[in-house]
Amino acid sequence: MLRFALRRFAWSVPVVLIASFLLFWAVRATFDPVAKLRQGHDAGAVQREIERLGLDRSIPEQYVLWMKGFLTGDWGTSTRTGGSVSTLVASALWPTLQLMFWGVLLAAFVALAIGVYTAVRQYSAGDYVLSGLAYVGISLPAFWFGLVLIQVVAVWPVQSLGWSEPPFYFVGLHAPGQSGFNLDYLRHLALPLATLTVTLTASWSRFARTSMLDVLSSDYVRTARAKGVPPRAIVLRHALRNALAPFVTIVALDTGVLFGGLIVTEQIYSIPGMGRLFLQSLQAGDVFVLVPWMFVVAIAVVFFNLMADLSYALLDPKVKLR
Amino acid sequence: MPDFLSRNRGLTALIAVLLAAGATACGSSDGGGGTVNGAGGGSTSASTGPSGGTLVVGAEQEPDCADWIAVCAGNIWGSYTMQVTTLPTAFDTRKQDGRWALVPSDVLAGEPTVEVRGGKQTITYRIAPEAVWSDGTPISSRDFAYTALQIRDGEGIFDKTGYDLIEDVEMPDEKTAVVKLRTTFGPWRSLFGGSYSILPEHLLRGKDRAKIMKDGYSFSGGPWKIEKWQKGNSVTLVPNDRYWGDKPKLDKVVFQFIPDTSAAFQALKSGQVQSLYPTPQVDAISQIKAGIPNTRVEVDAETGNLEALWMNNGRFPLDDEAVRKALAYAVDRKAIVERLYGPLGVSDPEQSFVTPLVGAFAGSDFDVYEPDPARVEQLMTGAGWSRGGDGIWAKDGRKAEMTITSLAGNKRRELTEQILQQQLREAGFALKITNTTPAEIFSKLAPAGDFQLGLWTLIDQYPEPALSASFSSTSIPTKANGNSGINFYRANIPGLDAELRTVDTSTDQATRRAASLRADALIAAAVPSLPIATVPNVLMTNDAIGGPTSINPSEGPWWNLEEWTRGQ
Amino acid sequence: MSVDVKTAAAAAPPPEKARSQWRVVGRRFRRHRLAMAGAVVLLLLAICCFGANLIAPYPQNQQDLLLGAVGPGSDGHLLGTDALGRDFLSELLYAGRISLSIGLAVAVLSTIIGTLLGALAGYLGGWVDELIMRTVDLFLIVPAVAVLALALRGLGSSPGTIILVLSAIGWTSIARVARSQVVSLREKEFIEASKLLGASTTRIIVRHMLPNLAGVIAVNVSLAVAAAIIVESTLSFLGFGVQPPQSSWGQLLSDAAGLLGTDQTYLLIFPGVFILVTVLCVNFIGDGLRDAFDQRARRR
Repeated sequence: MLRFALRRFAWSVPVVLIASFLLFWAVRATFDPVAKLRQGHDAGAVQREIERLGLDRSIPEQYVLWMKGFLTGDWGTSTRTGGSVSTLVASALWPTLQLMFWGVLLAAFVALAIGVYTAVRQYSAGDYVLSGLAYVGISLPAFWFGLVLIQVVAVWPVQSLGWSEPPFYFVGLHAPGQSGFNLDYLRHLALPLATLTVTLTASWSRFARTSMLDVLSSDYVRTARAKGVPPRAIVLRHALRNALAPFVTIVALDTGVLFGGLIVTEQIYSIPGMGRLFLQSLQAGDVFVLVPWMFVVAIAVVFFNLMADLSYALLDPKVKLR
Repeated sequence: MPDFLSRNRGLTALIAVLLAAGATACGSSDGGGGTVNGAGGGSTSASTGPSGGTLVVGAEQEPDCADWIAVCAGNIWGSYTMQVTTLPTAFDTRKQDGRWALVPSDVLAGEPTVEVRGGKQTITYRIAPEAVWSDGTPISSRDFAYTALQIRDGEGIFDKTGYDLIEDVEMPDEKTAVVKLRTTFGPWRSLFGGSYSILPEHLLRGKDRAKIMKDGYSFSGGPWKIEKWQKGNSVTLVPNDRYWGDKPKLDKVVFQFIPDTSAAFQALKSGQVQSLYPTPQVDAISQIKAGIPNTRVEVDAETGNLEALWMNNGRFPLDDEAVRKALAYAVDRKAIVERLYGPLGVSDPEQSFVTPLVGAFAGSDFDVYEPDPARVEQLMTGAGWSRGGDGIWAKDGRKAEMTITSLAGNKRRELTEQILQQQLREAGFALKITNTTPAEIFSKLAPAGDFQLGLWTLIDQYPEPALSASFSSTSIPTKANGNSGINFYRANIPGLDAELRTVDTSTDQATRRAASLRADALIAAAVPSLPIATVPNVLMTNDAIGGPTSINPSEGPWWNLEEWTRGQ
Repeated sequence: MSVDVKTAAAAAPPPEKARSQWRVVGRRFRRHRLAMAGAVVLLLLAICCFGANLIAPYPQNQQDLLLGAVGPGSDGHLLGTDALGRDFLSELLYAGRISLSIGLAVAVLSTIIGTLLGALAGYLGGWVDELIMRTVDLFLIVPAVAVLALALRGLGSSPGTIILVLSAIGWTSIARVARSQVVSLREKEFIEASKLLGASTTRIIVRHMLPNLAGVIAVNVSLAVAAAIIVESTLSFLGFGVQPPQSSWGQLLSDAAGLLGTDQTYLLIFPGVFILVTVLCVNFIGDGLRDAFDQRARRR
């Protein structure tokens, strides 16, 4: 097990390094960090800034210089804000982690519950409604859903029903001056979470349903039923445990790539997370933020991929680790 | 699977879709019309409620840093929200005799005196005795000296124009600063002001100024001070009790950063914010037109943002003045302005490259260019062009086909380009639209002259003319100046350079004004490019907010935030 | 070293049975009512969009700047007009042509690449497998938005570039699935027998593996189409999609995003509904395919 994990990790290192150089080179070659200055009145400012940032050197040279600093713990300063890159990335990571944590938790639980229910109560009215909603959920562009959600859930009560405050907020994760886990936080969290998880929950629930149906019609369960084991025990103890392995794998894999889906949610709900940081840095050609950003994402992806493989191996005894 | 059951499942999905669509349609029709239309000042002037209370403003951009003199601080929103409100400047932009002008602020004890001897200019600033920083230390000449030298000698400074002319700053006493320049500098009133301000020497000397200021600073020389800047979320201002002028009436002002236009307007409608200062983009104008209840909308067309049809005078066919003039007579600028800003009540095109913010120096010589198809024909045929079978002008086998380049993703500019394309097609010019990123335009295409027509904004930040940067022949980007000039249009008009030099170096306002008007006339005659419209500024405030809210085209809408009140 | 040739021959699916296997699949798909409904609707939509030149009431990009935006049901404009006075129904059809093309092209291209690479990785194992799977990781690490932004800058923003980039990013999921299928197939006897009979790797992969992957591939193509359409719309919303004068549903959505709550909200609703219906149909078809290819006929 350990050797498997280590070998995976060992292979990941060159991959991440190659990715980092590609990103560095591509961004340096395409986006211009001194673009802002070129519209100004001071002709000398551009040249001064180019020298200060070392942009007059070749790109591999710049990469090596930056890498040297990065490996010794000096993540440098952002060319966009002048602030420390590590602080920027860390403070952007926190809101994103919150969204991911609550989102995955909520989506996984709800999806599992819906999947189990619709599998067990196949062809019931509940199955139809929930399955229908799941279909719609995976067919929606999430940002469209988010915008419509804001209009229907937050703005409409104020405008048409005359409420003094919207029931849910949609700007940031806390009201200015507030912090911590309180009602205000939950009111801010509800809509972004809904937007983020609608597609996740829908697709995971369908997967869970299929998985459950597979297990429920397997010989193993049929034997248990014939033996007279009560239905609830069948579902909860036997079927669920077998259906869990592929479900968890999918959850882990999808979570690893979740960062991409966050960009849009963070944009609409004005949440200053990793997605927003990425867009801002990309447009400003701020390579010193982008590459460490990518490292963080890479660690997350590799970690979750590893979790997916390990969990599958752990939960499904038929798979042998080569 | 039984047929009717599987059919029902799809039906459920369909019903869900219809429900969602219906809910949205209901929501929007109830919300928009039917209630008091705030646009155009329909509601009465604001309630003057009791003082106190918190104001939440939706800001569409977050500044990158608050170290105002550094490169990272180029964003104007930083000025609007944190710099204008917390730090003193030598001159303020105020209306004088109906025109915007730089007038001495309350930091100065009157107009500074200027002496010119031997071609060198000396400015004597007298600082107001009651001016103090938020810790009680008086604002002194040492602050002037520190600020000047930081800008002149510092690294990573945004713009050293003017400050690089400073030879020395003398401090005969605490409240008198004497700045010596090595030549004359016409726009000297912009020193220690504009998007910079006066910095507190006693708190910053010997320390890392960038580190102290860039993430927000707690000192202040203005009515407000920064309580907290939560990056990505909001910045909170509270009153500065030591301010020697009018003290703020509100308890707290919060600027919340909402980059998404839709979310910003929804926030205003739902009461999450009470004020917006939206860029008049196509969707923002639609939102305003649809009406937002209980909201005042103020529109100001006298701004410093000029959108123009830029022409590369160095490329065929625009190297021929006749062609440029023909274009000027072919474009119906009034129609464009009405289309873009009509719902805001703005309809006049801009008739000078000097924006209304700098109106004291502006002529209106472009007003001769009204749509005149006969003139177009006359000019073009006179220059040896003839209409081809497809209606497009051609000369020596080359057609009058041009590309127009603008910033991608900007709906308003795209709309303008479409309108121009249609108008010019009728006049015999074929336009191809190619848009790209601002970085591509201003770092590569424009300096290299790799464009024919362009559509972007020229911005004046304070009421001092800066035409030379754009139209003086010495500003053409060449190898000699490291490709860093911004006369992208390769304008080279005889006699213009001299007039613009006068504007830049003379210290007599009357002389400068006269030279500027002559320059304006020369430009209008040669048509190196065509001004279209000034981008209006729009301020939206909820009726619960009181006070003399107004837009200052240089300092933003919160220049007098200390006079705003909140009723109940 | 006696190979039971008869066993090997019996284990390989005989040609007649293979042909009737496709017929079985087709029949089972047709019985899936939802999938059939989805297929019909999608076909109609595709015909309307790809035949937009003939069907749309107005030519593409015909502006009426004086008219501006009018609501649905107005004179001669079933779904209204946009800010430039272009008939919205026509624009939706022309945009649909691009969106559907991108969706289909990305799905086909990424499926081809992913299936081949995944099958190779699964069959050969060893360092080839590691290399390909780590490349999958590489593509997951570098953010799609970055790749697209850079590609659009470098290669120009055309639907072609978008198709290339989305395919280059999207092959990873099908590769994984193909790989795991091949890994489980690898152990089956008829493969062993073929190998012993001297069949080359290529022949084994193409003749024996791929047909067994057909079900998985078919389902994944449909999923990929759905995903590609949604990803294209999301990227357009962020500003990295199709640029004017070309338009796609995602582009229409992103243009109209700020109009929510105004009298032009319909400009936001209709493209969203079109995307929703299209992707819904594709998903129904995918479900139908999955059921049709399902070896274990366990559900009614």
